[in-house]
Amino acid sequence: MKARGTLLLAAVFLLAATLAFAGGGGEAGGKAAPVKVVYMTAGDVNMLALGQNVIGPALAEKYPNLQVMTVHTGPGNAGSQLILEKLEAESRSNKQAWDVDVAMVHQIFMKWAMEKDLLMPYAKEVPTWAYVTTPFAKNSLGVDIEGYGIPMFLSQTALAYNPDYVKNPPKSYAELVDWVKANPGKFGYNGIKGGMSGVSFAIGWVYWKTGKYQKYAVTGPVEKAEFDTWEQAFKDLGEFNKHVTFTGGNVGTLDALNRGEIWMGPVWVDMFFTFMNEGKLDPKTRMILPEPGMPGQPMYFVIPKKAAHPEEAKKFVEYVTSPEFQAKEIVQRFNWYPGIDGAQLKGAVPQEIYDKIYGDVTPADLVKKGQAFPLADYMTAMLEGYEKWIK
Amino acid sequence: MPELPARRGPRLAPRFPPWLFLLLPALSFMLLMYGYPFVRSFVQSFLDAAGRFTLANYAKTWDLYLKDLGFTFAVTAFSTLLTAVLAILLAMYLRFRDGPLARLMGGLYRLPIFIPFVVVAQMMNTFLAPHGLFNLALARVGLVNIEKPLQLFNFWGLSFGFIWKMVPFSVLIIHGGFQMIDNSYIEAARSAGARTGTVITRILMPMSRSSILVALVLVYSQVVGTFTLPYMLIGGKIPTTITVDIAHRVNYFRDFGVANTLGVFSYLLVLVTAIYYLRSSVRRVTEEGAGPR
Repeated sequence: MKARGTLLLAAVFLLAATLAFAGGGGEAGGKAAPVKVVYMTAGDVNMLALGQNVIGPALAEKYPNLQVMTVHTGPGNAGSQLILEKLEAESRSNKQAWDVDVAMVHQIFMKWAMEKDLLMPYAKEVPTWAYVTTPFAKNSLGVDIEGYGIPMFLSQTALAYNPDYVKNPPKSYAELVDWVKANPGKFGYNGIKGGMSGVSFAIGWVYWKTGKYQKYAVTGPVEKAEFDTWEQAFKDLGEFNKHVTFTGGNVGTLDALNRGEIWMGPVWVDMFFTFMNEGKLDPKTRMILPEPGMPGQPMYFVIPKKAAHPEEAKKFVEYVTSPEFQAKEIVQRFNWYPGIDGAQLKGAVPQEIYDKIYGDVTPADLVKKGQAFPLADYMTAMLEGYEKWIK
Repeated sequence: MPELPARRGPRLAPRFPPWLFLLLPALSFMLLMYGYPFVRSFVQSFLDAAGRFTLANYAKTWDLYLKDLGFTFAVTAFSTLLTAVLAILLAMYLRFRDGPLARLMGGLYRLPIFIPFVVVAQMMNTFLAPHGLFNLALARVGLVNIEKPLQLFNFWGLSFGFIWKMVPFSVLIIHGGFQMIDNSYIEAARSAGARTGTVITRILMPMSRSSILVALVLVYSQVVGTFTLPYMLIGGKIPTTITVDIAHRVNYFRDFGVANTLGVFSYLLVLVTAIYYLRSSVRRVTEEGAGPR
């Protein structure tokens, strides 16, 4: 009886919550029937928070008859895959107006969606396109995407270090190898199954050892013969691993840095700053982007080919890629690098924040050493190579 | 005894009474929600991305994840055995002692049962870290040099986490078994000169064999399938557990073939204990059935 009572209570609460949410959404609409823009986003829960708590209310204020409905599909490429499946289903259904108006996706999605012709070439019709300078907007994992997507932000991995112990941080992967031998156990990362900062470090290692970044990440083509040439690179990484402390994930690396267990490790730049802002990381901690570079990634706004509300979707994208929004929300609140040219933000972001964000890893560093993740098939092969050759 | 054909007709009816259909909702739910996914995951482990039959998933699993399979089995077996020993000892204590301390223990030990694995994982993450609580405490009393702390994000730390979480659960089951044994058995043994050790090994343990076995099987199968604790503790290490590998195959590659193959191996790991458990319970039923009642 008791269990049934609890269940009933839970059901009532759920119903009440649903009604409350629905009611809240309806009021914001105004007099004319509001246009509901369906925004589907992949990524971590912070992406949901951005859509639901920041973009939605701000856009409703600017355009009173515009209402944003945020749908969150989950982190990583798997999240983007779900968006792809939705668009594919709509494409196959031969509907004239598709449900999703605008989506936020990872790089690999661009390859998948371009191959299946699911996207609208909208980007050049959005005024903020003029501010977009990153090469990521032209090419994603070797696929020409110019005009089909605008990056909302760029995120980059770098080596964070504790300057109390590391006076002269290694400036390259080669110097890092020597440093690790001299300081065993003081470099930490999370392998390739505990989050993308570790994956990024391992991929950067392969780029360094092979010197074939251009072929693997930009120009292609994918040749299976390449895969077996990595054996020695991975065996060297296995040797390197013997002097390394393994951490429990992206967050684990930052925690271990903060507790002084490790003195250096690869991190996502945005997580680094978020941790620092929240007081979870020693403010002295610094970063360096080693030669020849480490991967980072953008996330893109795309508009599906037959979106029901393409004009509203463009307004949405324009708003979020405007210098004001990029400065205030993308950089200051979420600590990403802006999707548009950083120079556009110079006046909009307080100088101290601009200096902080670009202090250790400068815009010039990003241009020179900010790499992309490899083409999809190379990426898979590299991750499997890690598993195969590192015992 | 052979039956006469003439009697068959009337006997069929009671064999399939109409009320058996009442079982249909429950049965179809089980088949749909448990049976079907199980069979499908088994079938998918033999299919490639295009849906053709292949053994490639097994070849790849063998190639990449053999050591993880061994590691998973080792951690599981070790944690289960140690959990059983500790749980039996604690259950003994609770069975024999009474008083404020024992009652306090009897209440406190249950706490971890209600703590989800993800919380346990975060706890172990900070507790067992190189500069975590455990190492700092050891360093404080001079047992460990904090610059060369114990590395516990490995087999030992993972087993510690599992044991911490699973002992209370097993105590609950085993202690229940002990409670059902009448004091007169113990008193009889004692008056015949048996010491506590003998009472435990000759009276309590054999008489509550089934509850100990149930606890072992449940702990074992839970540990095999746990994802959060290994993922948060040793997710990036080599070797790691197969649950982490399954997540890796799905999240990075959307490779359900190899993920399902790893799943099949985890069923096999569990099957060993399940068969043992079933056989021993069947044996017990037949033994009890044969004995005087």
